[in-house]
Amino acid sequence: MSSPLKPEPERTLDYHPGAGCHDEVVDAAGAVRPPWRYLVDSLAGLGHAELAERRKKAMRILRDDGATYNIYSAAQMDRTWPLDPVPWVIDSEEWSLIEAGLLERAELFNFILQDIYGPRELIKRHILPPEALFGHKGFLRPCDGIRLPGEHQLVVYAADMVRRPDGTMCVLTDRAQAPSGACYALENRTVMSRVFPSLFRDSHVHRLALFFQNLRQKLMDLAPGVASPRIVVLTPGPYNETYFEHAYLANYLGFSLVQSGDLEVRNGCVCMKSLDGLKRVDVILRRVDDIFCDPVELKSDSQLGIPGLLQVVRDGRVAVANPLGSGVLENPVLLRYLPAISNHFLGRQLRLNSVATWWCGDDGDFAHVVSNLDRMVVKPVFRTAEDQTAVVSELDDRQRQALLARIRANPAGFVAQECVLPSHLPAFGDQGLSPRPAVLRAYGVASEASYRLMPGGLTRIGTREGGVVVSNQAGSVSKDTWVLASEPEKQVSLWPRRSGEGAPASEPSALPSRVVENLFWMGRYAERAESGLRLMRTVFLQTGGINPIPDSARRLLLQAVTQLTATYPGFVRGGEAMLADPDEELLAVILDRKRAGSVRSCIVSMLGCAEESRELLSSDTQRIINDIRDQMAGLEHSLRTEMASAPEEALAPLVSSLLALSGLIHESMTRGLGWRFMDMGRRLERAMQTITLSRAILVSRLPESEENVLLESLLMTVEALISYRRRHRAGLDLESVLELTLIDSANPRSILFQLEQLQVHIECLPRELSMSRELAGEKRTILEAVSLVKLSVLAELAGTGSGEAIRTALDQLFSRLYHLLGETSSAIGKRYFAHAAGPRQLLSPQWQVD
Amino acid sequence: MLYRIVHKTRYQYRTPVRQGINIAHMLPRDTRRQQCRSATFRVTPTPVSTRERLDYFGNRVCHFSIEESHDSLQVAVESLVDVSPDPVMPELDLGSSCQRALATLRESTDPEVLLAREFVLDSPLVAATAALRDYAAPSFEPGRPLLSAVRDLTQRIFVDFRYDPGFSDVTTPLDKVLAHRRGVCQDFAHLAVACVRAMGYPARYVSGYLETRPPPGQAKLVGTDASHAWFAVFSPGEGWFEFDPTNDKLAGDQHIITAWGRDYGDVPPLRGIIFGGGATQQLQVSVDVQRL
Repeated sequence: MSSPLKPEPERTLDYHPGAGCHDEVVDAAGAVRPPWRYLVDSLAGLGHAELAERRKKAMRILRDDGATYNIYSAAQMDRTWPLDPVPWVIDSEEWSLIEAGLLERAELFNFILQDIYGPRELIKRHILPPEALFGHKGFLRPCDGIRLPGEHQLVVYAADMVRRPDGTMCVLTDRAQAPSGACYALENRTVMSRVFPSLFRDSHVHRLALFFQNLRQKLMDLAPGVASPRIVVLTPGPYNETYFEHAYLANYLGFSLVQSGDLEVRNGCVCMKSLDGLKRVDVILRRVDDIFCDPVELKSDSQLGIPGLLQVVRDGRVAVANPLGSGVLENPVLLRYLPAISNHFLGRQLRLNSVATWWCGDDGDFAHVVSNLDRMVVKPVFRTAEDQTAVVSELDDRQRQALLARIRANPAGFVAQECVLPSHLPAFGDQGLSPRPAVLRAYGVASEASYRLMPGGLTRIGTREGGVVVSNQAGSVSKDTWVLASEPEKQVSLWPRRSGEGAPASEPSALPSRVVENLFWMGRYAERAESGLRLMRTVFLQTGGINPIPDSARRLLLQAVTQLTATYPGFVRGGEAMLADPDEELLAVILDRKRAGSVRSCIVSMLGCAEESRELLSSDTQRIINDIRDQMAGLEHSLRTEMASAPEEALAPLVSSLLALSGLIHESMTRGLGWRFMDMGRRLERAMQTITLSRAILVSRLPESEENVLLESLLMTVEALISYRRRHRAGLDLESVLELTLIDSANPRSILFQLEQLQVHIECLPRELSMSRELAGEKRTILEAVSLVKLSVLAELAGTGSGEAIRTALDQLFSRLYHLLGETSSAIGKRYFAHAAGPRQLLSPQWQVD
Repeated sequence: MLYRIVHKTRYQYRTPVRQGINIAHMLPRDTRRQQCRSATFRVTPTPVSTRERLDYFGNRVCHFSIEESHDSLQVAVESLVDVSPDPVMPELDLGSSCQRALATLRESTDPEVLLAREFVLDSPLVAATAALRDYAAPSFEPGRPLLSAVRDLTQRIFVDFRYDPGFSDVTTPLDKVLAHRRGVCQDFAHLAVACVRAMGYPARYVSGYLETRPPPGQAKLVGTDASHAWFAVFSPGEGWFEFDPTNDKLAGDQHIITAWGRDYGDVPPLRGIIFGGGATQQLQVSVDVQRL
């Protein structure tokens, strides 16, 4: 085959189209197909090196946006969403054919859904074998008879399509449970339009925003009669493989992102637990599979559900999209009977066919499957994590026999499909362009009388030429999908115009208590990690210098590490050997993620909290969070190699990033409750850490030279050494140090500064109206803490003039302050965070004796 | 025959429950041989909402939620039910043969038959295994009328299995019941359902009450009755018929139905989710079936 993309020798971009399949770019004669010409010329004009650069840039943007897809088996949780820089180009003529076919299919699946949970004519008229429906785990009997308001029951529909070798499109699977990927398509588009601005602009590509506007409108329509419906996106949580998308969708549409624990059924309604009380929810866009959604009536041991949800749905007081029970439409047996079903409902055959499908539960089909097994792809009728699609030709003999045995044991549990070799698209790699099989997922959303299609979709390509299965879990790469407009399109904004009166607007999304709690702990963990690192840096500096520091000071300093990080026994009870050779323990306190209190465990916890509240974090913040994750991962190596010389240098980048994080949050986060809780967490933690450190190294009285080392260490750690030197040129003394670190409310690292900030925050928190004049718990404790510090007499604390070995007054002050802060934290937690025990099943009655 | 049935359930929790969301299958449904004249459903503490509806199988279900903190939950149902002998007696000796019934099930396009095929399939608590099929097969000779075969199966279960209240609970698998040949009425009902399905016929689980008679000369004690369970079989062209393997008989005017489903899991008297309640819950149930 010739190399079509070769306008200039020095900018060669070779592409050899796939053999035996339809190639999207190059026709049988070796010529570039017309819709592709502009793109091909432009890419060839860029050349390999430049394209590689652009791809790198795209990956960087995706990473900064936090675009991830989790792979269950991977040890590391996030994998950056992979995007190939060459889009799938489809011209408007062809797209209109696809569109017509998909709209018809969406309508048909809507009819099927209505029938399955309604009259079941498909069964009664012998169109669908009863076993195909009644034997499918997705058929949820408690959902029988439930109806959403509006014309359509199926709200969002998606289909995976491929192009056959003969050039026709066909549908491999229909998705109706909670179709994923639409936001990945949007993210791909955003990135592509930034990385290839002029190419994108000149290509006249249909925009995607309208689809999301339609989706939002449809969701609002599901709460008829509610002026500002509260709509939430229900996610299983950060461990779900498409969590990025859930957060993105919620943000993009302006809805709250919730987990099941954020919702509860109260007085016949679904409510969201927010800081200012329970808020009634009108519509739930769910990304949790239906069977998990209500432990009362569906899967009784589900932890992802909202107990009682189904009855609220039945009463019409909340709408769930897609409706509970819609997972039954993903039963691939339906494809086998789709022609007859289409005849029944539409009176004609579908324009867009499905891949040829045989159901092993049918005797004739079963015989056909067994005798043609090698040419089949076998799928279980109900998708589970362990029972995956099998391409029979790729199995060895033993695997094939095992598969056959499984089918024979339960024929009705399997379908077999014709093995279609999908058309191929060029994928860009280090070796240039190579052909890869492609699957397109397209999306439709119900809209008044019909469906509206996203003009575009999510293209995914397989990992090798000639492959037939493309799956994200198997490591496929995504592509943008460019549907070319015949003329330039007008810009569509997601925001509906604020013109007409009574135009529905969604209520500003309140924060679920869980998110706020996570922000609070994110603040605490970030600060805890930072102070741990600072102390560690001090320890490295002080113990690694040319002049060895006095032994008792060294000992106190090392013990302070254990106390500050609460990594007991550590240096406090670890024995003399450890004190003599502290390196391993110091490394462990930084690096060991299994050790509670270590810097790494704090970072991991902080990242976990950030994940739970990611919809509130800007992409700048996301970038810094990525940096922190990278630096933490790299620290293991850098610290071990630098332990012999200036190990504190290895810590510097991580400290800087943590500082950048707090700076960014301070500078760019809206001063709402979310920010307030995060800052409270930070202040609380900083005060507690400074108290712990000061108490560890200042309470014992030591000879002056040794004490000076400790005072200096404290000042270094709390970043006050320079201010101190500027003020007190004479030298170090405890009273002056305390003045600066304890009671100077102008020093943003002093204890008093933290306490006063906390007091301000606490005053601003929402409260239930109360007639009582008694102070709330957290107001009382913080007031006492502030007063104690303000009333302290420095000379008394320093024990100047007394000869005691222990500074009792100082010790008592720190001890009391620490206690008060602990009380403040738990009072805040008790008042604002949900700590209720999760739901449990009512004891099943024992068999009752008759 | 007119019965008054009083069914009381009481849960005692270790620590307070702040919310409970429950579903009860306790109100008798109407069938071709029984009519529920009245039923009262009382819950303490008072629920914020109580809703009655018909479920997928046509059973009456009550949904109720309690949103005040409580240490104990009581549900008391009192119903008046008119029960008569089945107006359609099964043709044990002349009905359609097993062989014929199987063919009809496979080929008929009669909606009733098509819908009944749902009850041939495995359900969450009842899976037909080879062992069950082996046990059932001797009763189902191809030429024998299906209902006669089922009657025979009912008798064999009665003879072969020992009634043993301590042996099993809701979670005991059928394999174990089959291997040890013991259990209680729910086990026997599940076992029979599984056997019938293993042979390819539709069967469902029936939940209800049985009137018990005191020994001659003694007064009947209050509260000594219990929930009962038996099963029903569908014979194409003839309909559904009920059999009681625990007592070796056809269900008659002493069997009062509350609900039916694929298995117990579709129709437990009471199920739900609670928030709180501590580690343990105590449950007391009393049933009183009074002939009026």
